[in-house]
Amino acid sequence: MEDKMVAELPWLYTAMAAYALATFAAMMGVVRARGGSAGAAVNRNYESLVLGLISAGVLLLVIALAERWIRIGHGPFVNLFELLMSQLFSLGLVYAVIYWRLPVIRPTAVVVMPMMWVMGIWVLTLEPVASVYPPTYHNKWLWAHVGFGKFFLAFLLVGSGIAGIILLRGMSRLRPLFRYMPPDSVLDQVAWRFMLLALIFDSLMLIAGAVWAQDAWGRYWAWDALETSSFLNWLMLGAAIHARLTYRIPLRVGAVAMIAIFVFAFFTYFGTPFYSEAAHKGVI
Amino acid sequence: MIAVLKRLASIRLTLLWMALLAIGAALNYDNPVDTPVWVLVAPLALLGINLLAAIITNARINRRGGLLIFHVALLMIVILAAIGRLTHMEAHIEMVDGMGFTPERLINVRQGPLHSGKLDQVHFIQGPYTIEYRPGMMRGLTHSQVLVPDGAGGWERKVVGDDRPLILEGYRFYTTFNKGFAAVLTWMPDGGEAQTGTIHMPSYPLFEFRQANRWTPVEGGEQIKFWLQLETGIDPEGYWVLDARKSQASLVLRTGGQRVELQPGETVRLERGVLRYDGLSSWMGYKLYYDPTLQWLFLTAMLSVLGLAIHFWKKFANHPWPQPTSNRKDAGHASSDTRTAVIDKGRMV
Ligand code: HEM
Repeated sequence: MEDKMVAELPWLYTAMAAYALATFAAMMGVVRARGGSAGAAVNRNYESLVLGLISAGVLLLVIALAERWIRIGHGPFVNLFELLMSQLFSLGLVYAVIYWRLPVIRPTAVVVMPMMWVMGIWVLTLEPVASVYPPTYHNKWLWAHVGFGKFFLAFLLVGSGIAGIILLRGMSRLRPLFRYMPPDSVLDQVAWRFMLLALIFDSLMLIAGAVWAQDAWGRYWAWDALETSSFLNWLMLGAAIHARLTYRIPLRVGAVAMIAIFVFAFFTYFGTPFYSEAAHKGVI
Repeated sequence: MIAVLKRLASIRLTLLWMALLAIGAALNYDNPVDTPVWVLVAPLALLGINLLAAIITNARINRRGGLLIFHVALLMIVILAAIGRLTHMEAHIEMVDGMGFTPERLINVRQGPLHSGKLDQVHFIQGPYTIEYRPGMMRGLTHSQVLVPDGAGGWERKVVGDDRPLILEGYRFYTTFNKGFAAVLTWMPDGGEAQTGTIHMPSYPLFEFRQANRWTPVEGGEQIKFWLQLETGIDPEGYWVLDARKSQASLVLRTGGQRVELQPGETVRLERGVLRYDGLSSWMGYKLYYDPTLQWLFLTAMLSVLGLAIHFWKKFANHPWPQPTSNRKDAGHASSDTRTAVIDKGRMV
C-alpha cells in the first residue's frame, strides 16, 4: 500500500476531469443541436470542444503513463490499475481519431464517454500499487498482443457507441436529439463495419497472444480463463456477423448484440485475468 | 450431390455448430486434459464439413477472393491443429548440471499417437544457471546455460530461460519454476565398482525447509535419508540471485540410527560400502514441447487475417463512409437521404 501521492495520480485525475468535461460537452452538444443552424450532426462548437477535451485527456494520460513507467520501471501491462489506465488512453486516442475523421458518428460521444467512465471511476477506486514485472513479459509479442487488443476494443467501443444511439433513438423522448444523424439503417451498417474491423484485430490479438504464450509458457493454447473467454468472444463476433447475413435481424436486436459483444470483451479484459490466478500464469 | 452439399453448407448450421463449439470451449475451460476430446472435435468436424461445403457451393464465399482466403485458412487451421494434437509431445525433465540429455529421463510424457520426431538426435548438456529474485521473493529472469553441438564436433554455449526456449530438432525446452539443488555422491560398494550420481532435492526456494530425500543402495541395506543444510544467501526482503556455484551445503545423513554430517569431499562408512559427498550441484526442470505444425499454424492464421483484411478493403473501398449532410432536411430520413443511397445499394454487409 502506498500512502503518498504517487507521481502519476495528479495527471490521471486531470485526465479524468478532461474526459468528464468532454462527456458533459457532448451531452450539451446533442441537446443544443436541436436548435443548431449548420445542419451538421451536432453543434459545431461543441464538437471541437469535445474533440479538444478528449485529446487533452489522452495527452494527460500519456503523461500519467510515462510517470508511472518511470516510477515502477516497466510498462502498464500487469495489474488492473495500469491496464485500465492504459485502456483509457488507447480507447480515448482511437475514438478521438475516429471522432475527428468521421463526423457522422460524433453524437456517439454521449454513449461512448459514459462507457469510458465505467473504467474511469473504477481506476480511481484502485490503489496505484507498483506491479511486479513477470519474467515472461520480456517478450516483443506482448507488445503486438496488447497493441492489437487495444484496436480491437476501441473498434468494439465505437460499434457499440453507434449501437447505443440506435437504441436511444428507439425512445421517443430522445429521438429528436439525434435527428441530424443518418437513419438507423445507415448507422447499423457503419457500426457493423467497425465490428468487422474489430474481428480483424481480435484475430490478430489472438494470434500474437498465442505466439507469446508458446514462448512464455511452452504452449500456444491451453484454455485458461483468459484464452477461453477471448475465444468465446471471437466466436460470438463471428456468429453475430453470420447471423446478420443469414437472418433479417431487427436493427435494435443487432444493436443489443453489438453491445453484448463489447460487454463480453470488457469482462474478458478486466474481469477474467483477475478472477482466475491461472490466467496469464507468468504473473505468479 | 450438389444439392446435398448445399444443404450441408447452410449458414444456419454454421450458427448451430458455432454454438456447440462455444459449449465445447466452455467445457474445456481450465481442464483441457480431463475433458473428453470430442467436445471440441465434434463441433470442429461439423464446422469443417459445413465450411468445406460452403466453400464449394456458395458463390458468396468462393467468388470473393479475400473471404475465400479467410475461410480456407480457417479450415486449414482446424486441420493443422488436429495434426498438431496427433503428432505432439509434451514432457518434463530434470537436468542436473553437467548431465547430457537422454530421452529415458523424460517424465510425465504425453504424446499424440502419430508422434515421430527425432528425439534420439537431440543432444545437449546442462550447465549452471542463475535466477534473479526481487524483494518479496518475486522470481525474475532465469539464465540457464547449456552446451549444444556446434555442428563441427564441438560444443557451443547457449543461454536459455523464461520465454527463450532451447530448440533442437523441433523439440522446445522451456525452463520452469521447478528447479533446485542436488547432492553429488560417489558410492563405493564393498567389492564393487564406484559410481557417481546425484540426489535431487525438492524445488528451491519453494521447499526451502524440506531439502531432503532418501535412497537405498542397489546392494541392499538400510535406506539412507539425506538432508541438505544450505547456505544460498537467500534474502526474502532484498535482491538476491540463486546460483548453485555461490552456494554451500553440508549433507546430513541418517541411516540405521546413525547421524553424520558431511562436508564436500568427506566420506562415511556405511553397512555395505563407503559413500562420499562430492559437492553441491543444481538441477533445472524443463518442460518439453514438440509440435511440428507451429510455424504452419502461424502462417495460416496470418493468411486468414490477410484474407479478412482484403475482404474488408474490397467491400468498403467502393462504399464511402457516410458524411454529415449539409442539408438538414435530408438528415434522418432513410429514403430521401442521398448519402444513404450510396451505401444502401445492394445489401451492405
Ligand atoms: C465454419 C463454417 C463457416 C461457414 C459455412 C461460413 C460461411 C460464410 C458465408 C457463406 C459467408 C458469406 C455470406 C454473405 O456474404 O452472404 C461468410 C462471410 C463471413 N464469414 Fe464465414 N463461415 C464460417 C465460419 C466463419 C468463422 C468461424 C468466422 C469468424 C469468426 C467467419 C467470419 C466471416 C466473416 C467476417 C464474413 C464476412 C462478413 C461480411 O462481409 O460482413 N466465418 N461466411
